[in-house]
Amino acid sequence: MKNESGKGFIRIGVAGISLALLLAGCATRPDAGDTAATAAYEEANDPIEPLNRYFFEVNNFLDIIILRPTAEIYDGVLPRFAKNGIRNFLDNLRSPVIIANDLLQGQWDRAGTTTSRFGINTTVGLLGLGDPATGWGYQRHGEDFGQTLAVYGVGEGPYFYAPLLGPAPPRDLVGFGVDTFFDPITYIFWDDAYTVPVTRFVLNGIDLRARNLTTLDEIERTSIDYYAAIRSLYRQSRSDEILNGVTDVDALPDISNINLSSDF
Amino acid sequence: MIRIFLRQLPFIKNAAIIALSLVVGALALTGPANAQRNEAAESFVNKLASEAIEILGRESLSPVDREAAFRMLFVGNMDVPRIGAFALGQYVRTPTSEQKVEYLRLVEDFIVKVYATRLSDYTNQVFNILSSQPKGNRGTEIIVTSQIEFKTGRAPVPVEWWLLRDGDSFKVFDVKVVGIWMAQEQRSSFISVIRNNNGDFNALLTHIEERIGEKADEINSKLTDAETAGG
Repeated sequence: MKNESGKGFIRIGVAGISLALLLAGCATRPDAGDTAATAAYEEANDPIEPLNRYFFEVNNFLDIIILRPTAEIYDGVLPRFAKNGIRNFLDNLRSPVIIANDLLQGQWDRAGTTTSRFGINTTVGLLGLGDPATGWGYQRHGEDFGQTLAVYGVGEGPYFYAPLLGPAPPRDLVGFGVDTFFDPITYIFWDDAYTVPVTRFVLNGIDLRARNLTTLDEIERTSIDYYAAIRSLYRQSRSDEILNGVTDVDALPDISNINLSSDF
Repeated sequence: MIRIFLRQLPFIKNAAIIALSLVVGALALTGPANAQRNEAAESFVNKLASEAIEILGRESLSPVDREAAFRMLFVGNMDVPRIGAFALGQYVRTPTSEQKVEYLRLVEDFIVKVYATRLSDYTNQVFNILSSQPKGNRGTEIIVTSQIEFKTGRAPVPVEWWLLRDGDSFKVFDVKVVGIWMAQEQRSSFISVIRNNNGDFNALLTHIEERIGEKADEINSKLTDAETAGG
């Protein structure tokens, strides 16, 4: 019964999103004669920008009424060691997914690091609540299937901002789905409502939000277009993650000949 | 004894030559990597970053004076016109001369404030240069890698500096903090504002002006907070 209504809900959701897509339509491609606008359109690579902005606003609204207040309470009420314990625990739960992707990318050393971390933190770290592995020289790193696809040469695709999930262009959306299959937590459930995975998703969201209370405020206040800034931040931090933090100097734009003053 | 030594001299000489050539070979192998580092660029960044962090954390100055000092340092060492031009993308050809003058004035103000806000989180921390490498083959651009280390044991924040040669010294074009190039982020927003206003350049000027106004208040309150917390 529960399952039935769940499926019905998903169906209504899908129908709603398709309707919204139809209604909002796509961003109008600028006139080919307008070279600056065309270049801007292509650089943004955001063909459904109006819809994305709508979802962005929805998420901001949900953030204001639910997520942010919850995160503030979480941040204010829990002592630091409890918050760190929760973060460590959630990070540790993610280890199988990271190991799978380390291996798929052929990063044997990094897979070894993650495996050691998982072993140490699950035992010495008391089921992952502590993180003694970092002190022993096993630094944490993240990995996901979106990054694995990128390593295999799959492009990010046009920008998509999903309700609840946030920025999720096709490659990373697929990655999110595949990682769910890699994740043992997905297969642990006590009832039809998937209590464990859902709780983990919600708690992870609250903890992440609590850790970025000031950072996100700062970004909002220091940007002229918050939506476009987040789009750029998402893409940049993804490519930084894909390259494991190493700057690819050759991929940087050529700025040697640009200037504003010569046309005066 | 001496005779034995003399008899073995040619051998020793050969061994020495072999050893020497091995050392030279090793140097030749590691040579390029070291030669790619640019000491002048590294010390330029070290000086600039240390001064910036010092100014933002200086408690003897009033918030207004502190921002003025930071601006002096910043404007003298950043290539503001180039950052401004880069942030416009193809729209760089659209403003009139008057709009350009106005834009340059606003963008300087804006960037100073963005940097001051974001850097003020890193005052009283340890700054370390890690390395540097050339960008492109003209020898005019250098990327300097550094990191900010925290006394609290938090993981260090990587910071990269994109420098352009400017006579005997350098100018900063962009800074990458935690994976984000600042000019790239500005470009994304600036272009988006112009495009969503059907190419109207004045819309961008208005947006920047609004942000500078808000940010002036915010920076003052932030620096005042830091002062009360510190004092």
